[in-house]
This record gives sequence, structure tokens and C-alpha cells, in this order.
Amino acid sequence: MTFSDDRPTMIEFKDVHKYYGDYHALRGINGTIKAGEFFSLLGPSGCGKTTLLRTIAGFEDISSGVVMIDGKDAAGMPANVRPTNMVFQSYAIFPHMSVAENVGFGLRKDPRSKEEKAKAVAEALEMVGLKGYGNRAAHALSGGQRQRVALARALILKPKVLLLDEPLSALDKKMREHMQVELIKLQRQVGITFILVTHDQEEALVMSDRIAVMFEGEIAQLADPETLYRRPATRKVADFIGTMNFIPAEILSEAGDKVEVDAKGLGRVALDISQAPAKTGETPVVGLRPETLTLLYDDQKPTERETDGVIDEVIYFGDMTYYDVYLGGTDVEVRLSMRNVPGRPVLDVGTKVRVAWSPSALVLFR
Amino acid sequence: MKKAPLLRSYTLFYLLFLYGPIILLPIFAFNDSRVVAFPLQGFTLQWFGEMAADQNLRNAAWNSLIIALSVATLSTVLGIFAARASVRYRFPGKVPVMGLIMLPLVLPEMIVAMALLVVLLSIQIPLSLFTVILGQVLICTPFAVAILTSAFQSLDKSLEEAALDLGETPWSTFRLIILPLVMPGIMASFLICFTISFDEFIIANFLGSGQPILSVYIFGQFRFPAKVPSMLALGTVLVLFSIILLGFAEYMRRRGIAKAGGKDSGGFL
Repeated sequence: MTFSDDRPTMIEFKDVHKYYGDYHALRGINGTIKAGEFFSLLGPSGCGKTTLLRTIAGFEDISSGVVMIDGKDAAGMPANVRPTNMVFQSYAIFPHMSVAENVGFGLRKDPRSKEEKAKAVAEALEMVGLKGYGNRAAHALSGGQRQRVALARALILKPKVLLLDEPLSALDKKMREHMQVELIKLQRQVGITFILVTHDQEEALVMSDRIAVMFEGEIAQLADPETLYRRPATRKVADFIGTMNFIPAEILSEAGDKVEVDAKGLGRVALDISQAPAKTGETPVVGLRPETLTLLYDDQKPTERETDGVIDEVIYFGDMTYYDVYLGGTDVEVRLSMRNVPGRPVLDVGTKVRVAWSPSALVLFR
Repeated sequence: MKKAPLLRSYTLFYLLFLYGPIILLPIFAFNDSRVVAFPLQGFTLQWFGEMAADQNLRNAAWNSLIIALSVATLSTVLGIFAARASVRYRFPGKVPVMGLIMLPLVLPEMIVAMALLVVLLSIQIPLSLFTVILGQVLICTPFAVAILTSAFQSLDKSLEEAALDLGETPWSTFRLIILPLVMPGIMASFLICFTISFDEFIIANFLGSGQPILSVYIFGQFRFPAKVPSMLALGTVLVLFSIILLGFAEYMRRRGIAKAGGKDSGGFL
């Protein structure tokens, strides 16, 4: 999951600001996207991720700052000369043209012969799994097929950067998961930098080499998926990526990287904060992912720490069961996830249980 | 449906009221009598012959055709600019400017015609077909803008962006993507402006002094009872012409929708 840092920079943002009238849509974006990287802009709607993508495409002027594309300042470079191509959220398939005309649209000014262009179109269609669809009317395609046409149309121009604006949001769950894998394969095959905008954290985790999590026009954290998941920089990021339990904590003592806290329901814990997020002045809480908590059955012994609890809610998912558990006789409720395996029955609401956990899985936010 | 006999007869009565008089037109146009009254006297094509032989009428029809084609073309072109600007761009004074463009829609035509007449006379522009065209463009442009605005509005903005993104200039994007997709709207605007212009009377009468124009000519002919049957024949021809025009417009509209894969949300037929 790690991405080598020695690749050249493809996109660079330097203190990018964007105002719509009084509305401050982008508030000082900094960061680089490497060549050949699968990069995601992740955030809730209205966080500025699509605006940022559109500044790369050239559809949006920036108010201040610099956007560099492949070493060149993109200011004043119109969309039609940028080495970027975009797959739109609505796919923007031209309804009055056939599939082949859509895919070949960008080749209109290409000096190659008609036959060579037709061959390029056929190859592009084959690449996205639509071999032989060229003569179909574009409007007669399904959502997934339109998406593929949009991909082929953008990739046929061999752009340096492919921009994808929530390309999977209109597809149903099965199709979406299928296309996620296809997109990853396609990106490896063509080696082009992909920049994906999504509000779906799972999609971003699955597909990306690196992810920029955005809130309110700012990048809250830019990291690889594993770091984002295990070591979120802020409570907000932690809350947005996956599920995290937040437990109120009191800081008892602090010495270098060692902090001792009293977490409600868990008791006193000594934490190593060398990798913990920076102080933000929030009320201290410790975060725990559901899978770092384990229900202990009668015959099991805890590995590190153990806390009593009572099951408040059971959510059955087939392969997994989620339990909401009150910890140690307090009103602190945590969600934990257990894999359903033979010999380990799903427990009922009200059952008294033992919960095992490890201090190293705790993330301190303060 | 069976539960509402009142509504059903209301509908029938309404349609009869609307179209009954028009049905009388062809009936009397083929009636072998100069008096427009029942009972019918027998079948004749005499009135159509008279109509075709009338040199003044042919001139008037020709002039009206020139006016209507010019008005439809000019209004639609102006409508394209205005509709595109109002849908896609924000500019200072947009609301008052669009309001002023649409104002002739509700302004009494009589007043527009009089005002134009006064202005044209005072700046000494001779009245001609050209002045009629100018006046009618003023009246028709709001219709064109209204029709074309809805056509431009239904266009997904990302289609334009996709074309730009794929290397086209703003102009070639307009030509290759926008124009073909709003073509049904352009056709509808053209046909409606054509129809409005063709039977427009007030401006034609005020600003077309001396030139025979069909609507003015028909009105004039009704003073002579002997001419009435051939005017009915002319009316029959015009009704037929309207039906053909409308049918063609509807055919084009449906074809446009089918081509773009849209859902038919009902037209006028």
C-alpha cells in the first residue's frame, strides 16, 4: 500500500484559494500528486473536492495560489489544451452520437488517417470491455456502459492525468464494487495518474495509493489509506474514515512520549504518543476501531487488557456481527466487530461479556 | 371515465366551440353559392380557381412569405443569443435586460405599432416590407427566447465541458455539441415565429403602407361580399398549410427526442 516517493511530481498545489463571491471554497490547498499515482480527494459534499478537481481540469479559475501540471503553471491555460481529461459524474456522453463517435470525439484534430483513428477507437473500446459496441447509439447504453464509454473517450487521448469526478456514484453496489477493481487494473495497465473525487471513504480506501481528506475547503490529512485508517490526524478524519469509538479521557500525567490517561470505562492506560496526532486543544478523547476490540468467550484469556461490559445492541451482517457494548458499568458505549466463526454463537442483548483490547490500538485526540 | 358524464360533455362542447367555426371554412369553400349560409347548394371548385387567379392575392401571399421567413430567421437567431446568455452567463443588469426583451409579450401590440410608426416617420424611414419585418421581430423575439431558454436549460452543462476537455474550442463546442442538441428547440422557435408573423395584422397594417400583405389583404377583401367565398377557399388552404407545418414540427421534435434517447414529455400533438 505504500507509494514510492521518488516518482516525479505531476500536480502541485501551492496555497490555492478559491472564492465564489464571499464564499471561501478552497482555503489554502498545498500538496503534490505524483506521476502514475492513484490519488483520491475524499470528503463530504461541499468540502471543495470537486472544485479542486475542476481547477486541475481548467473549468475553474483560482483566486490565488498556483496549480502546476507536469511542471508548468496552469494559470491561463484553457481546458482544451491541458494534458488532462475528465470522466464526469453524469458521464456527459454526447447523446446525438454513436459510441464510436463519442470515443473518437477527441481525435477530431488528430492528423492520423481515418482508418488509424477507427483502430484507436476500437482499441480503446476493447480496453474498457466494450469491444464491438462502436455502432450502438450512446443513449441506448446502461449506466455501467456509459461509464466505460466516458473512460475510453478520456483515455484515447493518452492524457498525463485522468480526472474522475465521482464516477461510480450513479452505479448500484455490485456494479460499483466491480468497477472499482476494473479501474485499479486499468490504472496499472495505462500507468496514467488518476485523480478520483469521492465522498465514499470505502471507495477511496480500496482504490487509492494516497488520499487527501478534505473538510470545508482545506486538506485535513494527506496520507496513504493505512495511515489514514490507523493514525487519523484529527478526530474529524477519524470519524469520517470508517467507524471509530470515541471514549472520554482525562490526562493524568505526561512525560515525553509517554502519557497516562484515565479513559472512562477502560481505566488507566499508559500511551505512547510518538505517532499520535498533534494537539488541537479539543477535550481529550481516545479513539478505538471496532475490530481492535474483541469479545472473549468463556474459555478465552485476554492477551493484554480486559474490561467488563453488557451487550446493548446486536447487528448481524452474515460474515460479521457488530455489538454495541456498555463498558465497565459506565454509560460509555463502544461498537466492536466480531467475525462469525463456527463454535462462536452470536450473543444476545443483555449478555454480560468480557472485552479484550490493546493500549497500542488507542489513538489519543486532544 | 364513465363516472364523469358532465366532464365528458364539457370537453366535447369545448372542442366543438374551438374547432367548429374552422370546419365551416372548407364546407363553404366548396359550396356552390356566393352567400355563406345553409342549406348548402352543391359542390364547386370555382372559389379556389378565383383565388388562384387573383394576382393581388398572389402578391400578398408572396410578401407575407418573405416577411414570415425573415422574421422567423431573425427572431430565432436573436433568441439563440439571448437564451444562451441568460441560461449560461451572469452579467450585470441581466434581470432588467431579460425583462425588457420579454416585455413585448405583454405590451399591447397596438401601442407598439403606433410608437414604431411615429418613430419611423419622424426619422424618415420609408414604410416597406422591411419595416414590417423589424416590427414583427420585436413581437416574435420573446417567443423565440422563451422556447430556446427551455431548450438551453435542458442541456447538461458537463456536455460542453466534456467537449472543451477533449480539445475543442468554445466555438467548435457550440457547433458540434450545443447546436445539434438544441436543434429541436430552434425548429420549434422558427415555426412558431413563422406562424405568428404570417397571420399578424396590426403591425402589418400600420407599418406596411401600400404593400399587399396577406392578413391585411384578407381583411380588406371581406368588405366585398362577392369576394368572401374565395377568401374562405384561401382560409382552407391556410388551415391545411398550418396542419402540415405543425405535423412536420412534431415529427422533427419526436425524431430529435428519439435520437437523443430522451423521454417524450408530450409536445403539442
